[in-house]
Amino acid sequence: MTESKRWVCCIAVLALCASLAFPAEQLTSEQIEFFESKIRPVLAEHCYSCHSTKAKKLKAELYLDNREAAFKGGESGPIIVPGKTAESLLIRAIRYEEESLEMPPKAKLPERVIADFEKWIEIGAPWPSGGDAKIAAGATGFDFEKYRREHWSFRPIKRPDLPVVADTEWVKRPIDHFVGARLKNAGMRPAPQADKRTLIRRAYFDLIGLPPTSEQVKEFVKGEKTWSAVIEELLDSPHYGERWARHWLDVARYSDGLGGFLDNGPLPQAWRYRDWVVAALNRDLPFNEFVRQQIAGDLLDKPMKTAAGTGFFAVGPTYRSDGGDPESKAQALAETLSDRVDTFSRAFLGLTVACARCHDHKFDPITAKDYYALAGVFKNTNVREFPLVSPDVVKAYQDHDKAIKKLDADIKKLDRIVRQKKRPLTPEEEADLKKWKKELPELKKTLPSKYDYLHALGDSGSADMHVAIRGDLRKQGELVPRRFPELFVTAGKIAYKTGSGRSELADSVIDPINPLTARVFVNRVWQWHFGEALVRTPSNFGVLGEKPTHPDLLDWLAVEFMDKGWSIKELHRLIMNSATYQMSSQHNEANFSRDGDNRLLWRMNPRRLEVEVWRDGILAVSGRLNRSVGGTPVNEILGSDRRTLYGTVSRNGDRFASEKFMRTFDFPAARSTSAARTASTVPQQYLFMMNSKFFSDSAEALATRLEQGSLVPNKQIQLAYQTAFQREPDEFEMKIALRFLTGGQDRRARLVRLAQNLLSAEEFRYAE
Amino acid sequence: MKFEEHEAAVREAMSRPQTRREMLRSLGAGFGMIGMAGTAETLAFAVEANPLAPKRPHFAPKAKHVIQLFMPGGPSQVDTFDHKPLLKKYAGQRPKIVDRKSLRNTKNGLMPSPFEFRQYGQCGKWVSDLFPHAGECVDDISFIHSMYTDIPEHAGAMMMFNVGHLQPNRPSMGAWLTYGLGSENKDLPGFVAMSPRAQPRCKLANWGNSFLPGAYAGTYVNVASMKPDAVMPDLKNAHLSREQQREQADLLALMNRHYLERRVRDQKVEAGIEAMEMAFRMQFSVPDVFDTEKEPQHVQDLYGDSEFAKGCLIARRLVERGVRCVQLSHSISGYDIAWDTGHNDIKGGHKDLAVACDQGIAALIKDLKQRGLFDDTLIMWGGEFGRAPTSEGAKGRDHDHYGFTTWLAGGGVKGGHSYGATDQFGCSAVENRVHVHDLHATILHLMGLDHEKLTYRYSGRDYRLTDVHGRVVNDIIA
Repeated sequence: MTESKRWVCCIAVLALCASLAFPAEQLTSEQIEFFESKIRPVLAEHCYSCHSTKAKKLKAELYLDNREAAFKGGESGPIIVPGKTAESLLIRAIRYEEESLEMPPKAKLPERVIADFEKWIEIGAPWPSGGDAKIAAGATGFDFEKYRREHWSFRPIKRPDLPVVADTEWVKRPIDHFVGARLKNAGMRPAPQADKRTLIRRAYFDLIGLPPTSEQVKEFVKGEKTWSAVIEELLDSPHYGERWARHWLDVARYSDGLGGFLDNGPLPQAWRYRDWVVAALNRDLPFNEFVRQQIAGDLLDKPMKTAAGTGFFAVGPTYRSDGGDPESKAQALAETLSDRVDTFSRAFLGLTVACARCHDHKFDPITAKDYYALAGVFKNTNVREFPLVSPDVVKAYQDHDKAIKKLDADIKKLDRIVRQKKRPLTPEEEADLKKWKKELPELKKTLPSKYDYLHALGDSGSADMHVAIRGDLRKQGELVPRRFPELFVTAGKIAYKTGSGRSELADSVIDPINPLTARVFVNRVWQWHFGEALVRTPSNFGVLGEKPTHPDLLDWLAVEFMDKGWSIKELHRLIMNSATYQMSSQHNEANFSRDGDNRLLWRMNPRRLEVEVWRDGILAVSGRLNRSVGGTPVNEILGSDRRTLYGTVSRNGDRFASEKFMRTFDFPAARSTSAARTASTVPQQYLFMMNSKFFSDSAEALATRLEQGSLVPNKQIQLAYQTAFQREPDEFEMKIALRFLTGGQDRRARLVRLAQNLLSAEEFRYAE
Repeated sequence: MKFEEHEAAVREAMSRPQTRREMLRSLGAGFGMIGMAGTAETLAFAVEANPLAPKRPHFAPKAKHVIQLFMPGGPSQVDTFDHKPLLKKYAGQRPKIVDRKSLRNTKNGLMPSPFEFRQYGQCGKWVSDLFPHAGECVDDISFIHSMYTDIPEHAGAMMMFNVGHLQPNRPSMGAWLTYGLGSENKDLPGFVAMSPRAQPRCKLANWGNSFLPGAYAGTYVNVASMKPDAVMPDLKNAHLSREQQREQADLLALMNRHYLERRVRDQKVEAGIEAMEMAFRMQFSVPDVFDTEKEPQHVQDLYGDSEFAKGCLIARRLVERGVRCVQLSHSISGYDIAWDTGHNDIKGGHKDLAVACDQGIAALIKDLKQRGLFDDTLIMWGGEFGRAPTSEGAKGRDHDHYGFTTWLAGGGVKGGHSYGATDQFGCSAVENRVHVHDLHATILHLMGLDHEKLTYRYSGRDYRLTDVHGRVVNDIIA
């Protein structure tokens, strides 16, 4: 509806109300007296605190201290219908007959007061003019232009010039210009380059999530392999995709279903989305295509190849209602849509659009209409099985399955007659029953295992959606066309028309003039390399998010990323070849006291390894890791030799014993998108290291490896440090270990405990 | 430096009180002013060094510990503590005020309580025969009869009651409290959740940490099947003696201290060293606290022998040792919404559940009083909603979220007090209504926390237990 049309409507409503109500000037003195003595004082005492010009915070856009505004009503429309108590929302509200609109909320008014209000409505709701509070012309809507001009992340991305740096010796790559210049301005110096052992370990942990072997380290340290050869080898490794997929799966709130009470079904094929992400990253699918296939992969030319991407949404929670009350049905749909809009907007745009579900966003220029313009896209989308075989195979399977069900039902029907002794079976029925009972097991036996399929999205309609007043889908407000948020200058003006609108939505996201998509993604990649992002709220680039520590660097990376064809692997090369990335993580008291958070990047951040990398590393150094890639998940990953990526993830993290372990080590809850891992330190983690079977098995395996290498204690210790940390023990370490190892007769048991200590050591938990 | 000197230096560092964290505390440098103004560094430090270290509340607290006796499934208010004699007079009728939308099934009209009510205590509170033991304690209890919540369905309403939101994607109240206040015992978890047999519906979410750091998650223990040395995963070492373990831990501590020299002033590494020692102690302190056999016989007798009562006794042992929050959920038959048996049969269903918990609840109050812990401990009883005064079948009642009863006792609340009221039939809260958010605000207030200031920044937004709602119910505060 255009502005002018909306005004015409408002005026029409007002005229209608006014014509039914007494014109203010024709009221009798009794009527005035009734209002002033019975109605206005009650409004003043019980309603003004939320519904007046004096309200600290106006609720529901409703004023009750102004005649005109009171008749106009609030968010829920007019509340006073003169002469008609049953139709007056005001009466239903004070009678507590309206769900979630019990007014006043603190306590119900006395019956006699309610009766006064009813009488007042019945006699035509007389409300004299005069004494009305003036309502200031409130600011409605956002000044989008101003936001686009002033908020850093909404401005167009331009390629910034490289700052001039004095320390040209340090600078290796363009990134270093930006970092070096800021350090210089602050009078700080960057940390020296890390030693080669630290560097190669860093590269291994970063790119494939596994430690290098002692030999791989030696090769690099001796100069037999160059840095770029190491990087290329790792980028080509199939384990690269595994490592980086897990980063993205955090954002995608990936789970294998198995949620709570209202979304508890399994998603047995969810792993196909996980494997799709691994493969896409391994073949360096350009990020814009990566996004497109996740939003609309089922709608592209070759959906067999791309539909798996829509698992991004399909593996999320799809809530059902409990009991089927209208409120819970509406609630279930509203929550499902909220999951979609929230995950979509935070993951791709760094915007918290879901905050605008009940009202315009409190801080960002996102309206409730924007929310429903996006929610409308997902309301026309459902989650369905997407077969990966030909239609003939599907049909054959389904026919076969139906035949089993029919035969089963037929048998049950006759069995019931026999059981209930209603009547004897006819001879034909007897014969049938006998025949069917023979056929059924045969038919069941020949049913092939179910064909391969995906959990994918599909279009289910093409209708716009109403704004839901205060987020309640049963209370419909304005109808809004499906489109991008209005903040986006062009995309926000074009309504989506094709099917659900997902293809057009994908176009809006990856349009190079969209100021957010590239910025948000390069920022995430930076975080996954450095432990901290340039914008330390990677999924919130809005007003409440943090500002970038290096705004020009962020923009430079974003432009470069797009110019290089949205290649993620190219982005790794850009970053890892910089002097910035190669800095040591060593402490510097002067810098630390000025910038303890390392916002200016005066060193590399020492990083706690994620639980996956840590556990995989323990399996690797104890010689137990199974390096196979992809496939169905393992429910109890702790009992398996596979990489931690392959553990089944339930949406609340509570279905499998192994998930308790995962959660103890900060694996995120898969219920909503997660931008960054926390690194908590709790005793339960150390109980796991001291007493779990996983740890004692790992320690035994490592000890056996050490014994195979040597039976001499010194050599065993040396080998232990080489294996676990790819370095030699220093004198202190050698001495304390030797003393422990030779402190009793139980040599093997002591070696196992020493091995366990190496795996439990703080040093094993960090990439430096 | 020679090895011996080096080792001595490392050992000396180990024996020193906890380095900078202690220093900060002794300087009173805003330590633990979580969610309030404070520099980013102190905040980060306070959280990372030992997330469970005690923190200063926003203002002087009335209580230091919370024991929540959670009654999943929805106990009926008019059959327990909200006496409505008019139900008898109008039995079978369906006046408009009890025929509200969402009272899903009211077809048989008003149903009088099948239980007798009698008066207890100085205050003369009417309590049904379901709770004779708790009845003896009414002079220590504040009843809130005007509770209401958002929806009449278990999962959502339970989430509202325990996490302040209809969906299980927020931290639980216990997690918030532990985050805000830390814990007074460094050898036990700060927040323990228990139930006999079934975990309440939505399970872990009821005591989960959601986006708060993992240290604030409730540690769950099934009191029906528990062995004291297996209440937490990996609590017991299967292979080594305590001495052998200690020797190994000493070596690890030396290795880690040595590593810390390279990672100068690294709080995460420091915290890890501390947490390892705490884990070591927990191996022995945790089994001890859960071993109720260590209580003298007369104390065990006071509580009785139901599984729920055992949970009550453990709850006392936990708060006695400084644990911040205990959540004990009821169940007798493995049903995750125990009190929902009220659908079919109020008399039978409620009777069995009440018998299984009444004595334990009263014992908990009496025991805490005897030990002088009652004034420091806030006890809270209630379910996610109540039940309608009408009958849905012949003998049962459907859900009622418009009005129900919760009670508080101990730390800082009035005794022998009743607040708010439902209508004459007990259907809807009409006087001094208290939303679940208000209850949360009140509990936080009693614990010395301002519910509007206890915030956690997540995903670019400050979250609160009470979201944008909540009003402290001052009238029940002593």
